Amino acid sequence: MLVVALVVLALYWPIMYLVNIPAAQRALDTGAALPCKTAFECASQLRSPVLPSPQQLWDGFLSLMFPLNSPNAIPLNAAVTALETLVGLLLAAAVGLFFAVGMVASRAFERALLPWIVASQTVPIIAIAPMLVVVLGQYGVQGWLPKAIIAAYIAFFPITIGVAKGLQSPDPLALDLFRTYNASPWQTYLRLRLPASVPYLFTALKVAMTAALIGAIVAEISTISFQGIGKMLAENSRASDVVAMWVIMFASAALGILLVAAVGWLERLLTPWRQAQVAPRSKAPPARQEVRA
Amino acid sequence: MVFPNGTVALKEANLEVAPGEFISLIGPSGCGKTTLLRLLADLIKPTAGTIYIGGKTPEEARKARAYGYVFQAPTLMEWRTVLANVMLPLEIMGFPPAERKARAERMLELVGLERFARHYPWQLSGGMQQRVSIARALAFDPHLLFMDEPFGALDEITRENLNLELLRLWRETGKTVIFVTHSIPEAVFLSTRIVVMTPRPGKIEAIIPVDLPQPRSFETRELPEFFRLATEVREALRRGHGYEVAE
Repeated sequence: MLVVALVVLALYWPIMYLVNIPAAQRALDTGAALPCKTAFECASQLRSPVLPSPQQLWDGFLSLMFPLNSPNAIPLNAAVTALETLVGLLLAAAVGLFFAVGMVASRAFERALLPWIVASQTVPIIAIAPMLVVVLGQYGVQGWLPKAIIAAYIAFFPITIGVAKGLQSPDPLALDLFRTYNASPWQTYLRLRLPASVPYLFTALKVAMTAALIGAIVAEISTISFQGIGKMLAENSRASDVVAMWVIMFASAALGILLVAAVGWLERLLTPWRQAQVAPRSKAPPARQEVRA
Repeated sequence: MVFPNGTVALKEANLEVAPGEFISLIGPSGCGKTTLLRLLADLIKPTAGTIYIGGKTPEEARKARAYGYVFQAPTLMEWRTVLANVMLPLEIMGFPPAERKARAERMLELVGLERFARHYPWQLSGGMQQRVSIARALAFDPHLLFMDEPFGALDEITRENLNLELLRLWRETGKTVIFVTHSIPEAVFLSTRIVVMTPRPGKIEAIIPVDLPQPRSFETRELPEFFRLATEVREALRRGHGYEVAE
């Protein structure tokens, strides 16, 4: 991870100069009052750079991070977006689980519903978000909740598919085994199908988490918002603050990494049996020391 | 037994088993030995004929939890520890929690795995996993034990050790065992009677009593009687075209 960051940084400088020098040259040609003399010097100080210089990004980062509790700073807005994403993911998990159980239980349910579920995912979220907000507004649902619902709208799909796959994952022999115990369908669900689907659930949750984050941000952008990463993006876009846009973009990427990592952490906590399977450590006791000469 | 697609899996199978016997079903792939075992266990229904297990139909026997079944693969639940795997049938059958644990621990002792109670299945070798599966099948103390090529996937050395261990379990618990195998030495070594089955359509070719002295040991495999019985099984298989003979 660190190596990748270093490589990106090493490539970033030359590319930044390459794309900014023509813009800097044009700015110099207009004769504007600039604090720099040569195009090379100006390239890292443009007000609307093609690519902001690392120094500009750092300055932008500092001005957008502090004060921590400012309604215009990243921390508070990121927290709001994270809340919308997490609530959205929980809603999506509930809906996804329901659909998955239904689809595994009944072929008819699957055939009736799956095309509609797929269709729901091909509608551009940016088109459906404002309409959903209008509809929900009719019933007094306002603020962050509609964004969470929109996040859930795109996050439930991977969860549905993942969990349905997981519920069908038990070996036929394991199902036979439960039959020899004369286990009830409910017992088979609780003790075989559900636990078997847990690893699939977590894989789906990771995919769904990124989808939910994008859903929440897009919902914030495309509806009236007073808080959130999306609201910051929309504001700074209107103000043509390129540097701020870049900083917010990196911040939302960091938020995504954090949220997906949280799912991974929860997974390790709840599936202890899979730890070393993924990364086998030596399970044999250390070889006995040979003391004879 | 005829499958819906018309395949006759099993045609003639008349067999009576007394309590405490160790019966092996032997034959090549496709002779219906697994089908016969699945019929006994009510995992599939016969198209004709009758089966009684202690006076009950297979379905009644299954519902009365009269048998334990050991599959070709250990089919352990990877999210459960070894102990919790052995407790699984007891949970489903509604044993009180304290008894579940006590029974499961006793079963693990019986198969010599008490030190591995807290391990997860992936931490065990294939042979150990299959022993857990046997402990699990015995946990609720059924009279009958159905075993479908339980050692088929194991190496010869592990298999011979587990054969001995299985015989010890059989002696100590007094269960009736129906054991499916395609290994002639395994069948001769374990059984009190061997049922030789042949394919197309599946039928019972011969029933061979095995009167090797009990308890059996590694030396049993070296007795002349052992070789005579192995030859008898082999010839019965050949009579029923149990071998793929090159012509």
